[in-house]
Amino acid sequence: MVLVYGLNLMAGCYAAGALSCLLARWSGRLALVAGHMAALAGAVAGLGVSLGVLLGEPGLTLTQPLPVVFPFARLSLSVDGLSAYFLLVISLVAVAAAIYGPAYLRTHAPDAGRARQAAQGLALNVFLGCMAFLCCAGDAVTFLLCWEGMTLASYVLVVSDDRDGEDARAGLLYMVMAHGGTAFLLVAFLALTERGGAFDFAALRAAAGDLDDTTRTTLFFLAFVGFATKAGVVPLHVWLPRAHPAAPSHVSALMSGVMLKVAIYGMLRFAFDFLAPAADPLPLSWGWTVLIVGTTSAVLGVLYALQQHDLKRLLAFHSVENIGIILIGVGLAMILWRREGVGGVLATVALTAALLHTINHAAFKGLLFLGAGSVLARTHVRNIEELGGLARRMPWTAGLFLLGAVAISALPPLNGFVSEWLTFQALLGGAGRFHGPAGLGIVFSAAMLALTGGLAAACFVKAFGVTFLGRPRTPHAEHATEAPRSMIAGMAWLAALCVVLGVAPGYAMRLLDAPTAGLLHGPGASAVVTARGPLVLSTGLTASGADATAISMTMVAALLIALTAIAWVLRRGAGGARSHAAPTWTCGMSPTSRFDYTATAFAKPLRLVFAALYRPRREVTRETAGTPYVVRRVHYAGEVVDVAETQIYHRAERDISALAQAIRARSTGRIHGYIGFVLGALFVALLLFGVVQ
Amino acid sequence: MMTGGRSPGLLLVEMSLLVLLGPLVTGTIQKVKARLQCRAGAGVLQPYRDLTKLFRKGTVQADSASGFFRSIPVLVLAATVAAGALVPVIQAGSPALPLGDAVLLLGLLALARFLTAVGALDAGGAFGGMGASREMMLAPLVEPVLMMVVFSIAVAAGTTELGALAAQRGTSWILDWHAADFLGFAAMLVLLPAETGRIPVDNPDTHLELTMLHEGMLLEHSGPGLGCMVLASHTRQIVTLGLVSALFFPVGPADGTHATGLLLGAGVFAAKILALATYLALVESSYAKLRLFRVPQYLAIGFVCAMTALALRIL
Repeated sequence: MVLVYGLNLMAGCYAAGALSCLLARWSGRLALVAGHMAALAGAVAGLGVSLGVLLGEPGLTLTQPLPVVFPFARLSLSVDGLSAYFLLVISLVAVAAAIYGPAYLRTHAPDAGRARQAAQGLALNVFLGCMAFLCCAGDAVTFLLCWEGMTLASYVLVVSDDRDGEDARAGLLYMVMAHGGTAFLLVAFLALTERGGAFDFAALRAAAGDLDDTTRTTLFFLAFVGFATKAGVVPLHVWLPRAHPAAPSHVSALMSGVMLKVAIYGMLRFAFDFLAPAADPLPLSWGWTVLIVGTTSAVLGVLYALQQHDLKRLLAFHSVENIGIILIGVGLAMILWRREGVGGVLATVALTAALLHTINHAAFKGLLFLGAGSVLARTHVRNIEELGGLARRMPWTAGLFLLGAVAISALPPLNGFVSEWLTFQALLGGAGRFHGPAGLGIVFSAAMLALTGGLAAACFVKAFGVTFLGRPRTPHAEHATEAPRSMIAGMAWLAALCVVLGVAPGYAMRLLDAPTAGLLHGPGASAVVTARGPLVLSTGLTASGADATAISMTMVAALLIALTAIAWVLRRGAGGARSHAAPTWTCGMSPTSRFDYTATAFAKPLRLVFAALYRPRREVTRETAGTPYVVRRVHYAGEVVDVAETQIYHRAERDISALAQAIRARSTGRIHGYIGFVLGALFVALLLFGVVQ
Repeated sequence: MMTGGRSPGLLLVEMSLLVLLGPLVTGTIQKVKARLQCRAGAGVLQPYRDLTKLFRKGTVQADSASGFFRSIPVLVLAATVAAGALVPVIQAGSPALPLGDAVLLLGLLALARFLTAVGALDAGGAFGGMGASREMMLAPLVEPVLMMVVFSIAVAAGTTELGALAAQRGTSWILDWHAADFLGFAAMLVLLPAETGRIPVDNPDTHLELTMLHEGMLLEHSGPGLGCMVLASHTRQIVTLGLVSALFFPVGPADGTHATGLLLGAGVFAAKILALATYLALVESSYAKLRLFRVPQYLAIGFVCAMTALALRIL
């Protein structure tokens, strides 16, 4: 079968890319370019395989045994609709990253050594290959091996960019958090494989069939914590805003746009495929937890993003937000599935919204990270307070970044709006199905989603305006030039995706058929959401056919274009009006860049409105000339620290230190004391064992 | 495809009507305000005269602005007018084209606001930044409340299509209102000044840098560009009023396609808009502008009303 050749080709390309680091023996640049081109070929092969499965006959599952590496486990690949869909997301962003990467690394770090270039090419291919094969895994061992490979390769990439202590600390935190999460996953997987007696997914499914409710729920929450750590869900997100910005920008795009989605894949696979009861709905506690956690992540993610001045860190916080939005859809699908009565399609709408937001977020977040990378490569500055005026110097980058900003702010006619619209419709339908507090909870989630959209728009007015508009504030920004063509091409690919998924989302529904139908055992996405034709999105035809909402993004886009044309005629004015340039009005003073609004100032009103949450730290010191009325200088330092960090992690750190101190007081160095402890511990353990027996 | 009652031709007529009547609403509010303040005031047609003047003038563009600046007014106007296409004006019922969703309407208005704020930062003056910053502080607080008001009505009907919502309400107004409708309407009355940029949230008459929100963002626009921005804000105002009337006071009968029905619908629409405009003028004349950081508390009243309305619907 041709698709199996595609899988082999993909594996071969990524392996060749990883091996091409050996070329660094002769030329580091050659190794880098070869590595990225191999990755591009691998991504294209991945695109082919995923499209082949998604557009092939319904229910198509590709299986391929892998060579026997471990005597105890038979490894295999198995690509069904869900796998193929996530492989598609990975490959789409990987294409952009592979096109963008070589020029970026050359521009950003022209004096990088051979070892670093070799390591980056190697790690990128391992990273992409592990992500791709993780989604295609057919057994627990392959899954976990790829999971670990993905973590290690991305760690190498995180610490590879700049050699300062900040990045090393970010990498360490990432490693610790990622492995903490993996521990939870390992327990969940081993509990299932132990019952099933084999490692392949079919055995896992069979093992989950006769679980009692408590075990089922415990396993789900173990897996959920493991995947949530990787997905950067609040409060497990603290590593994300540090690690993602530290990586090279095209890797940041992959980490934010794709790696987090792999965790969503795992979550869906566990909840709907492995652990779902045969014919019953999922326990309510699962769906509500996911919905509440998702809503919290969405709101807190965007609120902290608003207060960031580091462009890449700001984008990383927005990933927390968008994972939250995806989880709102996933949680709602879990709640509604098999619970909404005969003929109910809302669970399908909710899952479609979540999966569509997955690909949408990959497209616009990838685009925005690449845009931020272009700025970084040309200015070597990540703090947006030191930028400004780049739209005149980097018009293509600015335009593409603006497009991404509109998309992520969930504004029509781009793709972010489409998935949020579907989420809103699913929430509205869910609220109508559940009376009582449950309905109110769903509606509250919708209110928070609306708040999130508004705050994201505010945040991106700030991010785009302060970075690209106004006057340059430092020489770095002043002397910036447009990014190389290949970098613009990488961004344009993702921008085109944003436009196509926004203006004609109906055609993407065909790709969502296999994953939604496969997971929910019901009608596919296109049968529900595009029941009225590919150009119209609706929330499904109900029995009466009348009370469902429908929009056509294509028509909205056409309307906007037509109205823009009319308004353009109006804008030209009557009677050959003249146009000339003059300085900006600054109350009669000569304008300088100090008149521009800074990011801190822009976000100040919202910082005050949400001060109870932010608890901003603020230090102002004045240097006066003898008398308090003559102020020489004012020093101002302000900071907003993540409430999860201060309230959870710092406290835990303090408690652990205190515990360690307390233990140290007991360690007197006397041997008989230690023997006493050991005996005591043994006694307690035996006692507990006896009680359990 | 859909089989709605409102034909594409009717949608076009409704959209043009909103754009053409937008300045008249502003003129009426100004006139009522002037009379309340014992002034003669300018004629109700003054906004049209201002617009024609602006479209005849030349433009002065800030030399530090980027290439986006010229197209901002065009895009803002297009997004606002497109939002106007979604509001049922003279007839209820689903439109023939799938264009009539309330969430899409709010999205298009948000797009216009986003672009306005981006344009305000472009010239690089402090006024634009100040206006944009304040506007983008209020917008995220207003939008969820608006969405909740829409949901409080939509959750009973199971759709967010404005025409269908209006049709579902039928011809019964206040006498048939659910308790949730009263609360939702109260929330809407709180939101209206915020969404239309009027006292007690914003003051459209001021050009004092410490008080203006929306005007601050328009400061660097001039000539036809400013004309587009001003026309867009007139349109935004009438679209918001149209949204209120579609949600709470249903428009004309859904199946009346004959001329008298349409004329009746248009007349009733004009009366409703006039009543809401008078409300805005009354509020503007009788209250002072709130301090900026008191506005979130003011909006919280709306949020509580809207959530209570929703609770009443769902529980």
